[in-house]
Amino acid sequence: MRGSWQRQTALTNNVANAETPGYERQEVNFESALQNAVGEGEPLEQVQFQTETVPTLAGPNGGTVSVDEEDAKVAQNGLDYQALTQVANTRNSIMRAAMGLN
Amino acid sequence: MGLFDAIEIAGSGLTAQRVRMDVTSENLANADTTKTATGQPYQRQDVALRQIEPGGFGGALSGALAQSESSPAAGGVQVSGIVTDSTPDQQVYDPGNPEADAQGYVKMPNISTVTEMTDLISEQQAYQSDVTAMQTAKSMFTSTLGILK
Repeated sequence: MRGSWQRQTALTNNVANAETPGYERQEVNFESALQNAVGEGEPLEQVQFQTETVPTLAGPNGGTVSVDEEDAKVAQNGLDYQALTQVANTRNSIMRAAMGLN
Repeated sequence: MGLFDAIEIAGSGLTAQRVRMDVTSENLANADTTKTATGQPYQRQDVALRQIEPGGFGGALSGALAQSESSPAAGGVQVSGIVTDSTPDQQVYDPGNPEADAQGYVKMPNISTVTEMTDLISEQQAYQSDVTAMQTAKSMFTSTLGILK
Protein backbone atom coordinates (compact mmCIF):
# COMPACT_ATOMS: atom_id res chain seq x y z
CA MET A 1 0.00 0.00 0.00
CA ARG A 2 2.89 2.33 0.80
CA GLY A 3 4.46 1.68 -2.60
CA SER A 4 1.19 2.15 -4.41
CA TRP A 5 0.62 5.43 -2.56
CA GLN A 6 4.08 6.70 -3.52
CA ARG A 7 3.45 5.69 -7.14
CA GLN A 8 0.21 7.70 -7.10
CA THR A 9 2.16 10.78 -5.99
CA ALA A 10 4.68 10.31 -8.82
CA LEU A 11 1.93 9.78 -11.42
CA THR A 12 0.08 12.89 -10.26
CA ASN A 13 3.31 14.84 -10.60
CA ASN A 14 3.62 13.53 -14.16
CA VAL A 15 0.10 14.69 -15.04
CA ALA A 16 0.70 18.12 -13.47
CA ASN A 17 3.94 18.52 -15.42
CA ALA A 18 2.58 17.18 -18.71
CA GLU A 19 3.07 20.59 -20.34
CA THR A 20 6.37 21.46 -18.66
CA PRO A 21 9.17 21.60 -21.24
CA GLY A 22 12.07 19.25 -20.48
CA TYR A 23 10.25 17.40 -17.68
CA GLU A 24 11.07 13.68 -17.42
CA ARG A 25 8.36 11.34 -16.21
CA GLN A 26 8.76 9.57 -12.87
CA GLU A 27 7.82 6.06 -11.79
CA VAL A 28 7.95 4.02 -8.59
CA ASN A 29 8.73 0.36 -9.23
CA PHE A 30 7.83 -0.91 -5.77
CA GLU A 31 7.06 -4.45 -6.98
CA SER A 32 10.67 -5.17 -7.95
CA ALA A 33 11.93 -3.52 -4.73
CA LEU A 34 9.70 -5.89 -2.73
CA GLN A 35 10.78 -8.86 -4.84
CA ASN A 36 14.44 -8.07 -4.18
CA ALA A 37 13.75 -7.75 -0.47
CA VAL A 38 12.00 -11.14 -0.43
CA GLY A 39 14.89 -12.69 -2.37
CA GLU A 40 17.46 -11.29 0.05
CA GLY A 41 15.39 -12.01 3.14
CA GLU A 42 15.16 -8.36 4.23
CA PRO A 43 12.25 -7.31 6.46
CA LEU A 44 9.55 -5.94 4.14
CA GLU A 45 8.47 -3.15 6.51
CA GLN A 46 11.83 -1.42 6.12
CA VAL A 47 12.06 -1.42 2.33
CA GLN A 48 12.41 2.12 0.93
CA PHE A 49 10.91 2.71 -2.49
CA GLN A 50 12.73 4.99 -4.92
CA THR A 51 11.00 7.51 -7.15
CA GLU A 52 13.08 7.44 -10.31
CA THR A 53 12.96 9.26 -13.62
CA VAL A 54 12.28 7.09 -16.63
CA PRO A 55 14.12 7.78 -19.89
CA THR A 56 11.50 7.96 -22.61
CA LEU A 57 11.48 9.49 -26.07
CA ALA A 58 10.85 13.23 -25.66
CA GLY A 59 7.86 14.86 -27.34
CA PRO A 60 7.89 18.13 -29.30
CA ASN A 61 8.17 20.31 -26.17
CA GLY A 62 11.00 18.24 -24.64
CA GLY A 63 8.73 16.64 -22.03
CA THR A 64 8.32 12.87 -21.86
CA VAL A 65 4.76 12.63 -20.47
CA SER A 66 1.83 11.22 -22.43
CA VAL A 67 -1.29 12.38 -20.56
CA ASP A 68 -3.40 9.48 -21.85
CA GLU A 69 -0.91 6.91 -20.59
CA GLU A 70 -0.63 8.67 -17.23
CA ASP A 71 -4.44 8.79 -16.91
CA ALA A 72 -4.63 5.06 -17.56
CA LYS A 73 -1.86 4.41 -14.99
CA VAL A 74 -3.59 6.64 -12.42
CA ALA A 75 -6.81 4.63 -12.83
CA GLN A 76 -4.94 1.30 -12.67
CA ASN A 77 -3.00 2.28 -9.58
CA GLY A 78 -6.19 3.46 -7.86
CA LEU A 79 -7.77 0.03 -8.44
CA ASP A 80 -4.59 -1.75 -7.32
CA TYR A 81 -4.67 0.25 -4.11
CA GLN A 82 -8.32 -0.63 -3.48
CA ALA A 83 -7.50 -4.31 -3.98
CA LEU A 84 -4.70 -3.97 -1.42
CA THR A 85 -6.99 -2.29 1.11
CA GLN A 86 -9.48 -5.13 0.63
CA VAL A 87 -6.72 -7.61 1.47
CA ALA A 88 -5.95 -5.58 4.60
CA ASN A 89 -9.66 -5.50 5.48
CA THR A 90 -10.01 -9.25 5.05
CA ARG A 91 -6.96 -9.82 7.22
CA ASN A 92 -8.47 -7.61 9.88
CA SER A 93 -11.77 -9.47 9.84
CA ILE A 94 -9.97 -12.83 10.11
CA MET A 95 -8.18 -11.51 13.20
CA ARG A 96 -11.45 -10.21 14.64
CA ALA A 97 -13.13 -13.55 14.00
CA ALA A 98 -10.25 -15.34 15.73
CA MET A 99 -10.71 -13.07 18.74
CA GLY A 100 -14.45 -13.73 18.72
CA LEU A 101 -15.31 -10.07 18.17
CA ASN A 102 -17.15 -9.93 14.86
CA MET B 1 6.31 11.41 1.05
CA GLY B 2 3.37 12.99 2.78
CA LEU B 3 -0.19 11.84 3.00
CA PHE B 4 -1.68 14.60 0.86
CA ASP B 5 1.18 15.08 -1.61
CA ALA B 6 -0.79 13.69 -4.55
CA ILE B 7 -3.69 16.03 -3.84
CA GLU B 8 -1.39 19.05 -3.45
CA ILE B 9 0.43 18.25 -6.68
CA ALA B 10 -2.83 17.89 -8.60
CA GLY B 11 -3.89 21.21 -7.05
CA SER B 12 -0.72 22.90 -8.34
CA GLY B 13 -1.56 21.51 -11.79
CA LEU B 14 -5.08 22.96 -11.57
CA THR B 15 -3.69 26.39 -10.67
CA ALA B 16 -1.16 26.31 -13.51
CA GLN B 17 -3.79 25.30 -16.07
CA ARG B 18 -6.11 28.05 -14.85
CA VAL B 19 -3.39 30.66 -15.37
CA ARG B 20 -2.84 29.32 -18.91
CA MET B 21 -6.58 29.53 -19.51
CA ASP B 22 -6.62 33.17 -18.28
CA VAL B 23 -3.75 34.11 -20.59
CA THR B 24 -5.34 32.39 -23.60
CA SER B 25 -8.60 34.25 -22.93
CA GLU B 26 -6.65 37.50 -22.76
CA ASN B 27 -5.05 36.69 -26.13
CA LEU B 28 -8.41 35.88 -27.71
CA ALA B 29 -10.03 39.01 -26.31
CA ASN B 30 -7.21 41.15 -27.73
CA ALA B 31 -6.91 39.38 -31.09
CA ASP B 32 -7.91 42.61 -32.88
CA THR B 33 -6.41 45.21 -30.51
CA THR B 34 -4.32 47.54 -32.69
CA LYS B 35 -3.24 49.96 -29.98
CA THR B 36 -2.08 49.34 -26.43
CA ALA B 37 -0.57 51.72 -23.85
CA THR B 38 2.77 51.60 -25.73
CA GLY B 39 1.10 52.64 -29.00
CA GLN B 40 1.93 49.26 -30.55
CA PRO B 41 -0.48 46.42 -31.32
CA TYR B 42 -1.18 43.88 -28.58
CA GLN B 43 1.51 41.20 -28.27
CA ARG B 44 0.59 37.58 -27.70
CA GLN B 45 1.31 36.31 -24.15
CA ASP B 46 2.42 32.81 -23.30
CA VAL B 47 2.84 30.95 -20.00
CA ALA B 48 6.11 29.25 -19.05
CA LEU B 49 5.70 26.26 -16.74
CA ARG B 50 8.32 24.80 -14.42
CA GLN B 51 8.54 21.77 -12.22
CA ILE B 52 8.61 22.56 -8.50
CA GLU B 53 11.84 20.96 -7.35
CA PRO B 54 11.39 18.35 -4.68
CA GLY B 55 13.20 19.61 -1.62
CA GLY B 56 12.84 23.30 -0.86
CA PHE B 57 11.52 24.32 2.53
CA GLY B 58 8.52 21.98 2.65
CA GLY B 59 10.54 19.03 1.40
CA ALA B 60 13.39 19.68 3.85
CA LEU B 61 10.91 20.00 6.71
CA SER B 62 9.03 16.79 5.96
CA GLY B 63 12.35 15.00 5.38
CA ALA B 64 13.58 16.15 8.82
CA LEU B 65 10.30 15.09 10.42
CA ALA B 66 10.49 11.67 8.81
CA GLN B 67 14.19 11.46 9.79
CA SER B 68 14.98 9.33 6.78
CA GLU B 69 16.89 9.62 3.54
CA SER B 70 14.00 8.25 1.52
CA SER B 71 12.82 10.14 -1.53
CA PRO B 72 11.58 13.64 -0.67
CA ALA B 73 8.13 14.92 -1.53
CA ALA B 74 7.51 15.22 -5.24
CA GLY B 75 6.94 18.85 -6.13
CA GLY B 76 4.21 19.63 -8.63
CA VAL B 77 4.18 22.40 -11.20
CA GLN B 78 4.26 26.18 -11.07
CA VAL B 79 4.06 29.11 -13.46
CA SER B 80 7.59 30.46 -13.81
CA GLY B 81 6.48 33.50 -15.75
CA ILE B 82 4.24 34.99 -18.41
CA VAL B 83 6.33 35.74 -21.48
CA THR B 84 5.60 37.87 -24.52
CA ASP B 85 5.60 36.10 -27.88
CA SER B 86 8.02 38.03 -30.10
CA THR B 87 6.58 36.84 -33.42
CA PRO B 88 6.29 39.90 -35.74
CA ASP B 89 2.92 41.66 -36.03
CA GLN B 90 0.66 40.87 -38.95
CA GLN B 91 0.28 43.51 -41.68
CA VAL B 92 -3.29 43.74 -42.94
CA TYR B 93 -4.37 45.93 -45.87
CA ASP B 94 -7.32 47.97 -44.61
CA PRO B 95 -7.12 51.60 -45.84
CA GLY B 96 -10.43 52.52 -44.15
CA ASN B 97 -9.04 51.75 -40.68
CA PRO B 98 -8.12 54.87 -38.65
CA GLU B 99 -4.87 53.12 -37.63
CA ALA B 100 -3.80 52.51 -41.25
CA ASP B 101 -0.44 53.95 -42.40
CA ALA B 102 0.14 55.93 -45.63
CA GLN B 103 0.10 52.72 -47.73
CA GLY B 104 -3.17 51.57 -46.16
CA TYR B 105 -1.65 48.80 -43.99
CA VAL B 106 -2.69 48.21 -40.39
CA LYS B 107 -0.44 46.43 -37.85
CA MET B 108 -2.50 43.69 -36.24
CA PRO B 109 -1.53 41.56 -33.19
CA ASN B 110 0.53 38.39 -33.77
CA ILE B 111 -2.42 36.21 -32.74
CA SER B 112 -3.89 33.31 -34.66
CA THR B 113 -7.36 32.47 -33.34
CA VAL B 114 -6.88 28.82 -34.37
CA THR B 115 -3.73 28.51 -32.21
CA GLU B 116 -5.53 30.01 -29.24
CA MET B 117 -8.51 27.66 -29.65
CA THR B 118 -6.27 24.56 -29.80
CA ASP B 119 -4.42 25.88 -26.73
CA LEU B 120 -7.78 26.19 -24.95
CA ILE B 121 -8.61 22.54 -25.74
CA SER B 122 -5.22 21.34 -24.49
CA GLU B 123 -5.63 23.39 -21.28
CA GLN B 124 -9.09 21.98 -20.69
CA GLN B 125 -7.88 18.40 -21.13
CA ALA B 126 -4.87 18.92 -18.85
CA TYR B 127 -7.22 20.39 -16.22
CA GLN B 128 -9.50 17.36 -16.47
CA SER B 129 -6.53 14.98 -16.11
CA ASP B 130 -5.50 16.80 -12.94
CA VAL B 131 -9.03 16.53 -11.57
CA THR B 132 -9.08 12.78 -12.35
CA ALA B 133 -5.75 12.25 -10.59
CA MET B 134 -7.04 14.18 -7.57
CA GLN B 135 -10.25 12.13 -7.45
CA THR B 136 -8.29 8.87 -7.61
CA ALA B 137 -6.04 10.00 -4.74
CA LYS B 138 -9.17 10.93 -2.79
CA SER B 139 -10.79 7.52 -3.30
CA MET B 140 -7.52 5.83 -2.27
CA PHE B 141 -7.54 7.87 0.89
CA THR B 142 -11.19 7.00 1.54
CA SER B 143 -10.50 3.29 1.16
CA THR B 144 -7.65 3.59 3.69
CA LEU B 145 -10.09 5.08 6.17
CA GLY B 146 -12.36 2.09 5.45
CA ILE B 147 -9.77 -0.29 6.94
CA LEU B 148 -10.31 1.22 10.36
CA LYS B 149 -14.06 0.54 10.35
